[in-house]
Amino acid sequence: MNQMASSDMTGALKPRPVVVNRLSKSYGQVGVIAGLDMRVDPGEFVSIVGPSGVGKTTLLRCLSGLMPPTSGEVTVGGQKVTEPLGEIGLVFQDYRGSLMPWMTTLDNVAFPLQGRGVAKAEREKIARRWLDDVGLAGAAEKYPWELSGGMQQRVAIARALAYDAHILLMDEPFGSLDAQTRLGLEDLVLRLRRRLGFSVILVTHDIDEAVYMADRVVVLSGKPATVIDTVAIDLGMERDQIATKSDPRFVDYRNRVLSRFIGKDHA
Amino acid sequence: MNARRLKRFVALWWLPVALVAGWWFLSLGRDSFYFPSLQKILAVLWRDLTTGNLLAWLGISLGNMAAGLAIAIVAGTLIGLLIGEFEGLRRAATPTLNFLRSIPPAAIVPLVIVAMGIGSAPKIFIIALACFWPVLLNTIDGVRGIPPQLRDTVKAFRIPLALRFRRVLVMAALPQIMAGIRIAIAVALVLMVISEFFGASVGVGFYINEAKQRFAMPETWAGTVLIGILGYVLSALFLRLERWLLAWYFQDSRTQGDEGA
Repeated sequence: MNQMASSDMTGALKPRPVVVNRLSKSYGQVGVIAGLDMRVDPGEFVSIVGPSGVGKTTLLRCLSGLMPPTSGEVTVGGQKVTEPLGEIGLVFQDYRGSLMPWMTTLDNVAFPLQGRGVAKAEREKIARRWLDDVGLAGAAEKYPWELSGGMQQRVAIARALAYDAHILLMDEPFGSLDAQTRLGLEDLVLRLRRRLGFSVILVTHDIDEAVYMADRVVVLSGKPATVIDTVAIDLGMERDQIATKSDPRFVDYRNRVLSRFIGKDHA
Repeated sequence: MNARRLKRFVALWWLPVALVAGWWFLSLGRDSFYFPSLQKILAVLWRDLTTGNLLAWLGISLGNMAAGLAIAIVAGTLIGLLIGEFEGLRRAATPTLNFLRSIPPAAIVPLVIVAMGIGSAPKIFIIALACFWPVLLNTIDGVRGIPPQLRDTVKAFRIPLALRFRRVLVMAALPQIMAGIRIAIAVALVLMVISEFFGASVGVGFYINEAKQRFAMPETWAGTVLIGILGYVLSALFLRLERWLLAWYFQDSRTQGDEGA
């Protein structure tokens, strides 16, 4: 019922806007998020950065419908999120814990489709196509524990996309990977996003990553957390690890976000 | 067999072989009434297995045990999955379960025999009842121990209830379920024997008890040795099954902690 957009993987998706309205979350007496507003336009890539423990993961859990906010609301295309939606795909930081070790890579990717009632042959065809797309064509019959961390995270991305996610929520997805693998996966996500046009909400504590990947960076701070700055990143759709990161504009964006982090006022 | 495997084999087997050999040679020729020689025990065992009723009775005993275990495994796993997954059910069931499982199964043997008579049914019932607990409690623990990350994944991808049970909960709890079954096999063996001490006319337990009443000590010993061998073979077979069924689990935990690319 909430599948608004086309599901043709070659055509552009038309994700619905995500609107966060005065969202607050507290655990007992402890406020984690207070009166947070933000929106993610269709096809937009938004990074959420903030110091460790600021409540980024809590925010993402509220956005995904895994956790109800204490007050305020999250809407997708005007529809209030009260449980996980079929058009949202999640990629967790702990890829190990989110893949099923008793299923092959192919089964892991196809499994959410089984939940939708897609027939076996069809879901395996879709899963193979996505594994191919994330560069894992040869790993379909392998088990997650036979793959490296970077490959496991590719499986998780393939799973979210095979699920026909129009909005990808990523919680520190590359946090536990080594630098080289991390850069490779950043570019993979950017490439897929350029081609398919899904929206992305990326939670990270890595400022370079946040600026490099996003169209907009939302900076959280405080206890309870609120949005203290929103920085539009005007670097175009094409990004390159070396050229983009040495662009003076990139450095400016990065410094602005960084100054927010360490609490200094930067022009 | 290469040198390393031979070394492992020797390391594993020297003690049991030495014990059996010690028993064999120390008891040889010294025929006390209560402690017949191992040679005599094995000769009697072989005689009764090949020419007597013992082999057929062993089949009957094992049949009861298999039936009881099967019922316990199916019921324990199904009920355990439900109780483990649904908190309300768990809260409602816990006091009752704690009471029931604290009754030693052997204590209800006479009651069951009186109620259900002789034959296989009461034995199967007793074995099933006793084996139900370890399977049930381990399954509940297994389901409750599923990592939150996995639960989030299942929820985020909106996996429907039946599929969640079939492809996630059972599998995630399987290592614990298997641990429960391993305990259940040991329990089943005990109750297989005990249940045949009363109101039985066939079975290995009956064989032992009947020989004891005739003061036929070599036969009594033979039956006991047979149970010992049976216990060992069953647990060895089960270990193999477990290694095979849980290959993913052992591999996964072995590589746990290898992070990065």
